[in-house]
Amino acid sequence: MTFLHKEIMNFYKIIFFIFFILFTYDLNSAAGGACKDYGDCDKFDYSLNDIESLQRGASTYINYCYGCHSLQYSRWGRVATDLQIPEDIFFENLVFDKSIKPGDLMTGAMPEDSANWFGVAPPDLTLVSRYKGDDWIYSYLRAYYEDSSKQYGVNNLVYPGTAMPNVLLALQGNQKLVCKDIPMIAANGGQKRDEYGNDILKKKCGFLEVEEGTGKLTKEEFDDLIYDLTNFLVYVGEPIKATRERLGWYVIFYFLIFTALSSLLYREFHKDYNK
Amino acid sequence: MSEIAGRLFSWVNDRLPIVNTFERHLSKHPVPSKVNFWYLFGALAAVTLIIQIVTGIWLIMPYSNTEEQAFSSIEYIMRDVDYGWVIRYMHTTGASLFFAVVYLHMFRGLLYGSYQKPKELVWIFGCTIYVAMMAEGFLGYVLPYGQMSYWGAQVIISLFGAIPYVGESLELWVRGDYYISGITVSRFFALHVVALPLVLIALVFLHLVALHEVGAGNPEGVDIEKYLDDDGIPLDSVPFFPYKVLNALVAIGVFGIVFSVIMFFFPEGGGYFIEMANFEKANPLVTPDHIAPVWYYAPFYTMLRAVPDPLGGLIVMAAAVAIFFIVPWLDNSKVASIRYKGIYSKVAITLFGVSFLTLGYLGTVGVTEIRKTMSVVCTIIYFAYFLLMPIYTKFETTKVVPERL
Amino acid sequence: MQEEDKTRRKVLIGLTSAVGLSGLPFAATPFIAAWNPSAKAKAAGAPVKLDVSKMQFGQQIQVAWRKQPVFIVRHTKSSLKSLDLVLPKLADPNSDQIEEPYRGLNLSRSKSPEYSVFSGVCTHLGCAPKYFPEVEPKPWDASWNGGFFCPCHGSMFDIVGRVFKGVPAPTNLIVPPHMFDGSILTIGEDKEL
Repeated sequence: MTFLHKEIMNFYKIIFFIFFILFTYDLNSAAGGACKDYGDCDKFDYSLNDIESLQRGASTYINYCYGCHSLQYSRWGRVATDLQIPEDIFFENLVFDKSIKPGDLMTGAMPEDSANWFGVAPPDLTLVSRYKGDDWIYSYLRAYYEDSSKQYGVNNLVYPGTAMPNVLLALQGNQKLVCKDIPMIAANGGQKRDEYGNDILKKKCGFLEVEEGTGKLTKEEFDDLIYDLTNFLVYVGEPIKATRERLGWYVIFYFLIFTALSSLLYREFHKDYNK
Repeated sequence: MSEIAGRLFSWVNDRLPIVNTFERHLSKHPVPSKVNFWYLFGALAAVTLIIQIVTGIWLIMPYSNTEEQAFSSIEYIMRDVDYGWVIRYMHTTGASLFFAVVYLHMFRGLLYGSYQKPKELVWIFGCTIYVAMMAEGFLGYVLPYGQMSYWGAQVIISLFGAIPYVGESLELWVRGDYYISGITVSRFFALHVVALPLVLIALVFLHLVALHEVGAGNPEGVDIEKYLDDDGIPLDSVPFFPYKVLNALVAIGVFGIVFSVIMFFFPEGGGYFIEMANFEKANPLVTPDHIAPVWYYAPFYTMLRAVPDPLGGLIVMAAAVAIFFIVPWLDNSKVASIRYKGIYSKVAITLFGVSFLTLGYLGTVGVTEIRKTMSVVCTIIYFAYFLLMPIYTKFETTKVVPERL
Repeated sequence: MQEEDKTRRKVLIGLTSAVGLSGLPFAATPFIAAWNPSAKAKAAGAPVKLDVSKMQFGQQIQVAWRKQPVFIVRHTKSSLKSLDLVLPKLADPNSDQIEEPYRGLNLSRSKSPEYSVFSGVCTHLGCAPKYFPEVEPKPWDASWNGGFFCPCHGSMFDIVGRVFKGVPAPTNLIVPPHMFDGSILTIGEDKEL
C-alpha cells in the first residue's frame, strides 16, 4: 500500500514493538486463573461424537447429580434420541419417575422446599458448561480434598468453600492435600544440584493425593468417569454443538466455491476497463 | 402474456420512476474505476443489516419479553425451535460483524478523507447510523436477560444517574421499576425491534441518497467529476452494474467465509461475542466477578473508566463519539487521501488506530495500575488525533494529487 | 472482444449464478423449518392416555388432545345394533371419502368394538358438536336415533360420528390414531399403524 512509506515504517515498528512489550507484560501480570487455588484449570477436550462417552456421562449424571441438579431446559426424549439410546431402554433404566413423558423437561427430582438443605438451592446445570466452562467442571469435580473444618468434611481447590458435598467420594476415595519434595529448577532450566551432584529438593504443599484403597475406582478410572460426565454436560449445554460443527464445514465449503467463482468472474469483467 | 406484462409495466413506469431510479442509482450509477478493498465494507454493512433484520424478525416470534420467560425463551429458541440456533447465532454473529464492518468502514473514511467537502452530510448520516447502532446493540444485549444483560444494563443506566439534578429520577424513569425488571426488558424490546430499526433504515436511506448525490470517493482523493465524456459521465468511472456488483459479490463470499467460521465454530467468539456470564439467568443479588462490555463498546468503556469522576467519564465517553460528527471541519488539508497527506497525518492516524485498539483491549480486561495509566494515555491520544487535526493538517507538506485516477 | 473471452464469460456467469442460486434453498431452510411445531409444542401435543373402563354405557366424554376436543363414546349393545336404522340418512357410511385409519374394522370406527374415538371438531367450520344420546324426536330431526348435533350450523352425526346427508358438514368426524392396552386408551399414537 502506498501510504506505508519507508520513512515512517521505522516509526510503525517502534510503536508496535512498544505495544507488544506492554501486552506481553500485561498478560503475564494478569495471573490468577479461573480455577483459584488449583492454579490453571486442566484442559478439557470434548468429544461429542463419542456417543458411548456421552451415554456413560448421562448415566453418571442421572445417578449421582440429577437428584439435586435439574437440567430444566433439556427434554428427556431429546437426550435419549441424541445419545442414541432406544427410548424404552432409556426410560426403563434412567428415568425413575414413571409418570415422565419423553417430551417433558428435566425439571429435577428435588422437592420444592429442599433448597435450604445446603444453604443454597442447588443450581440448575443445563448451561453450566457454558457459563463455567468445561475446563472448570473437569477440574472442579476432581479437586475435592479432606478438610475437617468444613460442614461435609471436604473442601475444593477450584471452588474454595463450595456448598456441595463430594457426592463421588465413594468412587474417588479420600483425597488429601499433601506436601512433596520436588526437585528445584535452576535458572538455566536444569535441575539444581549440590556439590556432590545430588538433586536439591524443596518442600512444596498443595498436591492432591488419593489415599490408596479408599475408593472404588482407580485414579484413571475416576478421571475417565469425570471426563464422560463433563462431556455430557458440554452436550447438554448446547445439544446442537456437534451438528453445528459438522454443518459449518459444508457452509464454509460453499462460500469458498462461491468466492472462487465470483472472483474469477470479477477478474473477467475487470479486463474491460483495465486494458 | 408477455405483451400484457410489458404494457402493465410501462403503465406503472409512466407513473412511478422505476426504470429511471434503477438506472440512476443501481445499474448505470457511475463509481470510481479504481478503488481498493477498503471500499467494500459499505456494501457488507448493507448485507449485514439485511441479515440482522431478517433473523431479527424470526427471533421475535419465539422470544418472550417477560422477566420470567425472557431467559428461558432464548434456550427455547436454541433447543426446541427447529433450526432456532442457526437463526440466533446468525443474529449474534451478525451483530458483532456489523460493528466490525462499520468500524472498518469508518476507518476507511478517516484514511481517505471521505468526509471532506462535499461529503459532509454523507459522513454525518453515517455517524448518526453508528450512534443508533450502539443504542440498538445495547438494547438487544439486554433482551436475553442473562447476568451480563442485567449488569451491563445496570452500569449503562447508572450512567444517567451521573447527570446532575435529574439523574436519579431519569434512571428510575428509564427502568420503570426499582431494578431492571420485566417492564424494562419489555421497553427495550419495543425499541430494539421497532423504533430503532425504523430509524436505522431511514438513516441508511439518507446516507445513500446523499452519497449518490455527491458521488463515491476513491483512495487517491481524485475528483473524477472533472473529466467527463460526451455523455457527461466521468471518464474515470465504471457503471455500478456489473463491475461494482461483482466486486461486492467477491467481498460477500469472503465475508460469508468469515461469518460461517465464527457462527459454526466460535459463536461465543471466545466470550467476546456472547459472554459466558450471559448463560446464567439475571440475578439482581449477585454481581458477576468480572463485568466487561461486549467488545464493540470496549474502547468507550475504557474511557469511562479512565476518568475517576462518573459525570466526567460520561462526558468523555459521549464526546469520544460526538467528535466524529465534526471531523469534516477539523481537517484543514488540501488533499483528501492519506496517500497525499504529510507525515504528521500519517503518524497521527497510526497512533489513533493503535490507541483505539488498545482502548478496546483494556475495556475487556480487569483494571490494574499499569492498565489505568495506559487507558489515560490512549484516551489522550484518541482525542489529540481529532483536536490537533486542524493544526497538523494545515502545517504539513502534502503531495500533489494527480488529475486522473 | 474475442470469441473465446465471450464463452469464458458466459460459462462463468452461468456457474456463479448457479452456485449462488443453489445456496438460496439452504439459506431459506432454517427460516421455513423454524415455523414447524417446536419440541415444546410437540411435547404438549404428545399422545394422551386414559382409563376408559370407568365409563358408563352410553356415556360420552371429551378429552383434549393437542388442545382439540376428542370424543369418546362407550356404546351399549342396543345402540350399536340400531346403527343400521340410520344408514339411509348417512352421506358416507363407510368413510370412503376421507382417510380413515380403521375403516371396516369395527362398527364403532375405532380399534375397539365397544368404544368410539373421534375428533370433536365439526368438519364444517370447526364448532364442537353436542351429544344427544336419547332416541326421541328433536327439533332438528323428528326421527332422531341418538347422535351428535352441531349448534352452529345444524350439522348432524350418528353416535359413531358419521355425517348425515343434506347438512353443511361435508365429511364424517375424523378418527385420530389410537390404541387400546386393556382398558388404557392412548390417543394420538398407534404402534401398529
